[in-house]
Amino acid sequence: MNILFIEDDMIETMKLQRTISKLKLKHKITEAKNGEEALDILKPENTLPDIILLDLNMPRMSGIEFLRILKEDAKLKYIPTVILTTSENRVDLLECYKIGIAGYVIKPLKYEDYEVKLHRVLSYWEINELVKG
Amino acid sequence: MEQRLNLMLSKMECNKEIVLLKKALERQKKARLQAERILEQKSKELYDSTFHLKQANNKLENLLTEKTSELDGVFVNIIDPYVVMDLGFTIINMNSSARDFLGYDNRKEHINLAKLVHKDYIEYTIKSIKNLMEIGVLKNYRSKIRTKDGSYKWVQINSSLIYDKDLKPIGAQGIIRDITKETEIKELLNEQKKQLDIIVENSPLGIILTVDDKIIKANKAFVNLLNYSENELKQFYLNDISTSENKEENAKLIADMNTGVLDNFSTIKKYYKKDGTTLLAKTNVSVVKNDSGNIEYQVSVIEDITVQKELEIQKEQLLNELEISNKGLQEYAHIVSHDLKSPLRSISALATWIQEDYKDVLDDTGLQNLCLMQEKIASMDKLIHGILEYSTAGSSDIDTVKVDLNSVLSEIKESIYIPDHVMVVAPKKLPSIYADRIKMHQLFQNIISNAVVHIDKEEGLVKILCAEQDKYWLFTIEDNGVGIPEKFYKKIFEIFQSIGENERSTGIGLSIVKKIVDRYQGKVWVESKLGEGTTFYFTIKKQRNGTA
Repeated sequence: MNILFIEDDMIETMKLQRTISKLKLKHKITEAKNGEEALDILKPENTLPDIILLDLNMPRMSGIEFLRILKEDAKLKYIPTVILTTSENRVDLLECYKIGIAGYVIKPLKYEDYEVKLHRVLSYWEINELVKG
Repeated sequence: MEQRLNLMLSKMECNKEIVLLKKALERQKKARLQAERILEQKSKELYDSTFHLKQANNKLENLLTEKTSELDGVFVNIIDPYVVMDLGFTIINMNSSARDFLGYDNRKEHINLAKLVHKDYIEYTIKSIKNLMEIGVLKNYRSKIRTKDGSYKWVQINSSLIYDKDLKPIGAQGIIRDITKETEIKELLNEQKKQLDIIVENSPLGIILTVDDKIIKANKAFVNLLNYSENELKQFYLNDISTSENKEENAKLIADMNTGVLDNFSTIKKYYKKDGTTLLAKTNVSVVKNDSGNIEYQVSVIEDITVQKELEIQKEQLLNELEISNKGLQEYAHIVSHDLKSPLRSISALATWIQEDYKDVLDDTGLQNLCLMQEKIASMDKLIHGILEYSTAGSSDIDTVKVDLNSVLSEIKESIYIPDHVMVVAPKKLPSIYADRIKMHQLFQNIISNAVVHIDKEEGLVKILCAEQDKYWLFTIEDNGVGIPEKFYKKIFEIFQSIGENERSTGIGLSIVKKIVDRYQGKVWVESKLGEGTTFYFTIKKQRNGTA
């Protein structure tokens, strides 16, 4: 799968990369440090990702702001977006589902738990038929 | 002859004398006759006049009798008590009304009217009597007199002197009017007026009476409110000293009152004080109507609410500020917790990776230290989680839905770690109550997990019970754990107060319990026996009139 990973924290990116390589998963990860960068990547001339993994707390453009723009776009709104965050704020959760998300995953404290969670999320989306293109 | 003559002469002389005598006698006779005639005439005249006199006298006597009987009739027929007294005020005569009224009878006893006067009126009576003696009449004398049965009656007496033919006063007569009822009513009215005046004058509320908006009376409170004297106020119309906060509404209310739709209304008005400052007052206007239904007076009751209003505004501002700051605080708590959690996750990941990547290089101590590091990270994460929970526990935006506590309990049993030797049970079915589901979950979970953690027996038991009270639900959560020393009964509900030996205890769990219970206007307390167990009690106020 082509995965767009939007995350400002370097260690978080390392966690995902390590998980992918450790589990020998064959996914292509495109990294974006924030929403603005991600929108650049999502320009029409580029190939669109299959799914997006989105952090909420980011500088410049927050995850929710990015999500709104994404879901208002006639084309981009089809990309399943899974939130990956430490925020257990119910307000955030409700807002995200309201705008439209494909999942809301809380980052666990332990790396081992992270691996397990991410493996499941990616496996789930792997068995799904994706929009493609 | 001579002789004869002489004789004759002498005889003649003699005869002359006789004649003279005879003549005198004759004259006398004549005079007597005349006198007799005069006498007779006079006598007749006398007789005639005597007769006439007699006749006139008879006439007069008749007249007098007539008048007397006429007077007697009047005397008897006067409805009001009527008395005739001598100058010492001893009653000489009285009519039956007077007898009935006073209870005394002059034919049987000696009555002195002056002695019946109530002592409070003696001075006045003396003055009145003096007046009567001087000018002969006394009008509207009013006093209280004692009747025979000992009761006092209010009387009004009109009196005048009686004179003899030489215009010397010989007595007095008087008509007594019983004004007891009238006076009592008057006194009652006066008393009531006095009482009313006391109420009105001592009222902390300003009260004014107006006729067609012109002030005709104002009480002390109102005088003090505006600092005008009552006389100054009486120069004013309502509009001179006040304006309505909402003019349109006020105009409508007044119109409604004038047309009889309304009898009273309440409004907020601004009043102008003498010193030029203003005050805000709640004004209650009522109308007083006369018998024909026309408005006679308007009564306004004025309550100064300037301070109250200021406080209200202040309170509103404070509440707003509080709400904003509360929201900010919660937002802040979320952000802080995120910003603390993120690096903690990074540290944890990095430590894990060192462990994984360098397990061959590290010795046991190194590996052990990395483990300790992970533990510390875990407890710090728990703390952050707890603080966040605590800071949002009292938040005002809560749902009120029907929550089945049995399902909440099942959820809790699934989500917390309960060792195999501990049983968490609800012996009786728990109720469904109206509350916020998440808060209920937090509440029960915090007490239950606290109970579970502190069990030291081989077989642990945590029992959840509920009793329905009039306005509250009472819950008890009973365990057979280590127990809590009495000196900590209060302290355990304070934030960061962990009393256990358990290093991983954050001291937040039970403070969250307290916060949620407070939110539901309930109470939480604890009873415990060291070594035997602890029972937590808490109440939750029923929502929606206690329906559950």
